[in-house]
Amino acid sequence: MTVEIAGTDARSARTPVQAAGDVTRRRPRPGRSRMAVVSAILLAVTCLLMVFPFVWAALASTKPTDVAFANPPVFRYTPTFSAYVDLWQTTDFYLYLINTVVVAVISTVVALLVGIPCAYALSRYGGVASVVLLILALVFRALPRFAVVLPMYDITRSLGIYDTTYAMAAALIVINQPFTIWLLRNFFAEIPRELDEAAMVDGCTRVGVLTRIMVPLMGPGILTAGIFVFLFAFQEYLTAAVLTDTTSKTVPVFIATQLGQNLPLLQQASAATVLLTLPVVGIAFIAQKYLVAGLASGAVKG
Amino acid sequence: MRRRQFWALVAPSVVVMFGFMLVPLYRTLRWSFERVNYGEAGTFIGLANYQAALSDPRLGRAVVFTIGLTVVVGVVCLVLGYVLATLVNGLGRARPVVLGILLISYVSPHIVGAVAFSWLFDSNFGGIVDYLLNAVTGGAFGEPLWFTSTWPNRLIIVLNVVWFMLPFSMLLILAGLQGVSAEMMEAAQIDGASPLQRHLYVIVPSIRGVLGFVVLILTMDVVRVFDSLIPLAPQSLTNGNESLMVYIYRVAFAEATRNLGLGSAISVLTILLILVLLLPSIRSVVKEARA
Repeated sequence: MTVEIAGTDARSARTPVQAAGDVTRRRPRPGRSRMAVVSAILLAVTCLLMVFPFVWAALASTKPTDVAFANPPVFRYTPTFSAYVDLWQTTDFYLYLINTVVVAVISTVVALLVGIPCAYALSRYGGVASVVLLILALVFRALPRFAVVLPMYDITRSLGIYDTTYAMAAALIVINQPFTIWLLRNFFAEIPRELDEAAMVDGCTRVGVLTRIMVPLMGPGILTAGIFVFLFAFQEYLTAAVLTDTTSKTVPVFIATQLGQNLPLLQQASAATVLLTLPVVGIAFIAQKYLVAGLASGAVKG
Repeated sequence: MRRRQFWALVAPSVVVMFGFMLVPLYRTLRWSFERVNYGEAGTFIGLANYQAALSDPRLGRAVVFTIGLTVVVGVVCLVLGYVLATLVNGLGRARPVVLGILLISYVSPHIVGAVAFSWLFDSNFGGIVDYLLNAVTGGAFGEPLWFTSTWPNRLIIVLNVVWFMLPFSMLLILAGLQGVSAEMMEAAQIDGASPLQRHLYVIVPSIRGVLGFVVLILTMDVVRVFDSLIPLAPQSLTNGNESLMVYIYRVAFAEATRNLGLGSAISVLTILLILVLLLPSIRSVVKEARA
């Protein structure tokens, strides 16, 4: 029951709509099955179009260099994985991949640790400060990245922490903090205040309420926020391009630097694209359940 | 919740957010009044940077391009996102798989997607779309210069931005559809509303809040589009497809002059533009908080 309050259990969140579906099912209309076929075809075509750029890049990565970017495109070739071997042997790709993952993990963990108490307080405190903070967070979320990142470049250089993984992670925590607290705050707002009061009557402190009651209840909500923050860090190009150079370079920056280079490097870039997209495909399949249910109960009502 | 408790709980986040946001923002503001090089103290030159920015037609072009892109992408994502969400909502067991596939373009790094996208069109790198276009139309369109001529370039930019923003609008609208009341749908059906009428008069009005939220996110994110334009619009300076972000990047960081003062002034002007665009949303937040 408790999880359903947060509304983040995918199945329970779907029931109203399934019920709506039942209504139509009870009164079958002529042409319904034809509509189902049409919508299935439309969806299949859309799915195909949406993944096509990656499919094409994946194909390119298995072609020999001379046909990978041939025009007109070549469809018959003997697949080879030499681009992957070259990528691994001739570049520091594994290092960039580790950097990307480390930045994403650090920034996700810290962003949640800092954001959860803040979001909880924002959902429970009705004062002016709360409204002002939320609006400022909204404005910060919309700021042009350069207004923040270029000074950060200057600051990290003068502090001697330019081109370090933790400086990059710190920048991303800051940049994504507004989103984190907005999303989490809406999740917390869904949990009735009576629960806090009951726990406090039983002798819980505020922090006790947060750690013992809210965090366990918010499991799926925290997971949703975590997935988003992780993805944002994983995707970030601009901040990484400005704040990193060689030692803490991330994969998106690496792929961008391969552009405008010669064909073998582009081959490696397509191999890198595939290697970076594959884990993301995994995340997409795990995340979809939480994202829909999570957004249904959280972000959307904000 | 007592005030002391409130501040204790928000303190870490506020320190992080404000400390590390306001210091850089203050620098940007100060730089916008200075002639400055990286790592050096600047000299105050008053409004000269703003004068230079506002008198350069490049700024106007960038603003028009950026807003145009935002409007077009916003409308397309809203409409297609709605249709797609409705279709996905009707799915049964296939739903997780379809959602997973549809989300890939949103969760991949945008620059990676844009690079893959550019390979589809660049005849130097295969250009499968050119090839298929010619094969289907028998060469009616010739070989459009996707990266150098203005409108073909705009088309692929819009396609790319829609491609990676559409899943997110679809996801939000799908989440909104979960909240549409079943009783209302049933009532509409008993009253004999056609499917189209049900969409227009029952579903759309009841998810108005969600649609507003989608517009807000789309506005914020499309105005800031930068990553995808690096591979997709290399000629943007000459073909008029330079966005505000790319303009700032070039002026402040990439071009030989590295004019940080001018770049900062454009950043400040962009912030003002974004604030204007956000005003309706800010007002609704205040209203909701007061209620």
